Amino acid sequence: MENGNYRHTVRQLYDFIQSHLYFNRPDIRVGGEQFNSTLLFTLLTALTGGKALIIGEPGLGKTTAAEYAGSLLYQLPVGTVWASEVSGHPEQTEEKIIGRPDLGKLNQGQEEVVWSHFVQLPVKIVDEINRLPETKQSMILDGVDRGNWEYLNEMILNSEYCLFATANYQDQGTNTIIAPLLDRFDVMVESRYPGPSFAFMISQRQEKEGLLRHPDLEQELQEALKKRLATEEKETRIGAVSAAFGAHLEESLQLPTLDHSSRQNVRKQISAISLDQDANAYTRMLLAELSFCDRHGQKRSTDVCEEGCHYTGYLCHRLSNCASNRLPVSLTNYAKALAWFTDVSAVGIEQVRAVGPYCLAHRAQWTDTHLSLLQKDRRNDPLQIHLAREAVNEVYRRYNEQAEHVKKALATAYRIFQGESLEPVAGDHPIYAEIRKDLSLEG
Amino acid sequence: MFNPYEDFKDFLSRVKNLPLDRLAAEHDEIMAEMAAGYGKLVEQELKSLVWFVEHNRVIEAYKTATEVINTLSYDAHSIEDFCYVLDSGSDIPYLISGPAGIYIAALCNHVPDEKIVLRLGEMERTLHFLGYRLPYGKSLRIEGDAGNFTGSALQGGEVIVTGSSGDWTGAGMTEGRITVRKNSGRNTGEWMQGGEIWVDSRIRGLGRISSGQIYQAGEAIAEVY
Repeated sequence: MENGNYRHTVRQLYDFIQSHLYFNRPDIRVGGEQFNSTLLFTLLTALTGGKALIIGEPGLGKTTAAEYAGSLLYQLPVGTVWASEVSGHPEQTEEKIIGRPDLGKLNQGQEEVVWSHFVQLPVKIVDEINRLPETKQSMILDGVDRGNWEYLNEMILNSEYCLFATANYQDQGTNTIIAPLLDRFDVMVESRYPGPSFAFMISQRQEKEGLLRHPDLEQELQEALKKRLATEEKETRIGAVSAAFGAHLEESLQLPTLDHSSRQNVRKQISAISLDQDANAYTRMLLAELSFCDRHGQKRSTDVCEEGCHYTGYLCHRLSNCASNRLPVSLTNYAKALAWFTDVSAVGIEQVRAVGPYCLAHRAQWTDTHLSLLQKDRRNDPLQIHLAREAVNEVYRRYNEQAEHVKKALATAYRIFQGESLEPVAGDHPIYAEIRKDLSLEG
Repeated sequence: MFNPYEDFKDFLSRVKNLPLDRLAAEHDEIMAEMAAGYGKLVEQELKSLVWFVEHNRVIEAYKTATEVINTLSYDAHSIEDFCYVLDSGSDIPYLISGPAGIYIAALCNHVPDEKIVLRLGEMERTLHFLGYRLPYGKSLRIEGDAGNFTGSALQGGEVIVTGSSGDWTGAGMTEGRITVRKNSGRNTGEWMQGGEIWVDSRIRGLGRISSGQIYQAGEAIAEVY
């Protein structure tokens, strides 16, 4: 299948979910097209093997959006996806999430692990993750991050997986999601109220879940997952059932889907897309503001940003934590995926700005002063996404004012790095100070 | 250690070609060529201190103008720009309204565009002979006032003047249509052989009409067949 055909297939999947399964208003505009951010980012997450945190009020389609995207992108009947979901609650245990000893074998003195469906399947959904107590959230840290799941002395490595976690807004039964776990999510989106008309339409389309069900294939998958087989053999069996489900979708709904090798090809294509120089320089400028501290060398959640600093006009003054290295990874991966999805040959600032708020929202810890200033703003987004969007736009304005100067500074830094005797380009932005640090010209 | 600024390796060495710079350079080149063509015409015509409007002299000047513009590459917008170059006088040694107008008329008649708009309202001087010999299939819209001999010897084209035109409007025209939104001067339609002249307001004086129609404020005031 050629590039355009893969894209066409994925666009068909987006359109199918939008018109048959997940009804909501468009709330994001990219390249002249309007999309629904929840649907767009769940699809891109499934496509790229990312991790998405979907927040929202109860009953507004957080879990179902993930289920549909996961089911269609990975050719899994939705019943199998349901069976593999982990629900967050205080009594949740490692044995239910990851795996348990095979009790029969244990009685015979053998130590074998029965892995959960959640661990084995590529589509992983943790429902209401913030109902997991903080101590239990750390159980899924490694698996979430690297796809490796350990129990007793055994380990499973997922070669291909995506993860969705849903979270309701804070109430009596919820806990805070620990910062290391939050940081591991590439994006955070809100599944919003669709408006009364779409909500009414949802009530009229109650048969929609049946579209992605296939009890026979679900049973076959169940059998394959239960069997203790070599990894390759198990993957082959799951792959065969997935292919059968893909054929069923094509036949019954005229909906083509992607098999494992097609998904791998799409990922290669996405990975090959590069950032243009403006997107590159703008991203560096954004990262500089999210991590810079003139007084303490870098942002640290333990340090307090004092008034009177020269850089109080920049984002660093309003933040209490430092951007992690996962942020630029998420930013570039999703910007590339968006460029691929919208058929753009290189990532530009538009794509970075489009994904930026969703990559930053859950990672940025804003100071109380900043929160109190902006929380009463008129907005459509939840506060965290709103704040992140404002930040991304603010840096964009600054970049626009000095784009050529910033690029010149970065180009000059390249030459100094190569050994040329030049003076670094000076300017009033953390990026210039960071460049000097890279060149060992500043302590 | 790898260079973290590798992506900007070629930024400083890249020569930036702004589209505006290219367009400005092309525009300057066209204006220079047009000015040079006009210079040749003036050289030919400046044999005496006074340029008399004589039938043969006009024909001769038009012929010369046609020859000098033969190799020029320009469009309708360039003609308007050149009118302002003429008006500013900075690059033009002698502006003689007669030859200048004939030169503009020759440019209009040979430009590939069928519709030509000259927004001359801001010009300090008035050009004569605009629309001279405008052929069939072309239309010339002059926004502002036009000088004497507007649309003279018209050959089937359409001339519209949104302001007023001077004396001898449509003189010797054979076919086509001239519309003047305000007034026209003396001898309007002198020796005209055919076609129509429509003047919305006042006609200061009619010429001797051989054939054709002249209308004032929508009413026929001269119809000679």
